[in-house]
Amino acid sequence: MKIGLLHSLIRKEEKLLLEAFAKARIEPVMLDDRKIILDFRTPQDLDVLLERSINHSRALHALRLLEGVGVRCINTSEVARICGDKLLTTAALQERGVAQPQVRVAFTEESALAAIEELGYPVVLKPAVGSWGRLLSKINDRDAAETVLEHKTVLGSYHHSVFYIQQYVEKRGRDIRSFVVGDECIAAIFRESEHWITNTARGARASNCPVSNAIAEVSLAAASAVGGGIVAVDLFETADELLVNEVNYTMEFRNSIDTTGVDIPAKVVAYVAHEARA
Amino acid sequence: MAECPVCGADVELEDDAVQGELIPCPDCGSELELLETEPPKLGEAPEAEEDWGE
Repeated sequence: MKIGLLHSLIRKEEKLLLEAFAKARIEPVMLDDRKIILDFRTPQDLDVLLERSINHSRALHALRLLEGVGVRCINTSEVARICGDKLLTTAALQERGVAQPQVRVAFTEESALAAIEELGYPVVLKPAVGSWGRLLSKINDRDAAETVLEHKTVLGSYHHSVFYIQQYVEKRGRDIRSFVVGDECIAAIFRESEHWITNTARGARASNCPVSNAIAEVSLAAASAVGGGIVAVDLFETADELLVNEVNYTMEFRNSIDTTGVDIPAKVVAYVAHEARA
Repeated sequence: MAECPVCGADVELEDDAVQGELIPCPDCGSELELLETEPPKLGEAPEAEEDWGE
């Protein structure tokens, strides 16, 4: 069995995965995205490839080109395409009826301001492509809206003039991150913070969250909507339902193994090995 | 053992350290990358870029 591991820097997650591969007596073929050269033709002698790049742009294109020469990739380039862009994620969730916060998209300062006013303050402005809570703006009033919209238009690349405007959901200091591997919701954590952004990359604290039927159901529905595989789903708890905030296709889990007691890297490796034999 | 390129401190490496691994310098806290393993060579890890993430 030949399993490829597409990577950039070897972070804690990749180190844990390498240990899990070793325990499973699998020696992955390491593909460093800083060194590979893809020529659209040369086949790769791989049964399956697990993607762990840090750069979304590299993952997206490398996956597409590797699939083009017949490599079965986890996750697929289509999952990367959808999950890597919040607008496409929202569309995919919407088309499958998965509960999520209201979102408006607009392309000019004027129309974005109108959209914000229609949704009602506060709202959250996000770059469509972004992660780790970077460049999120909570807009509490019109003054802030006008300023942020202008800054994004003037200072950002064209991506930043695709205004992704999300209804602000009061999270009462926490959200939920659930982990889906194949057709199983294997674990979940609460991420708690005094700040309104609850990424652990921004200092939120992780604690175990029992995987209720409701969490499993909405997480699996979200995973399926974006194309499935190995994803982490971020959820907001509201009074009457769970809302999917986003879906991550290169999930981080370093803070979630001890907290949940679930050997996440082992589950990932087992899934990849199963897919390689399939 | 390898030298931190930022502060010059000796950085102890795990037996299973792999090329490309992120390693914090215990002295100055800089985030380092293990560029080579034989002999071990550390470099400053690259800064986060706009499309880094999950």
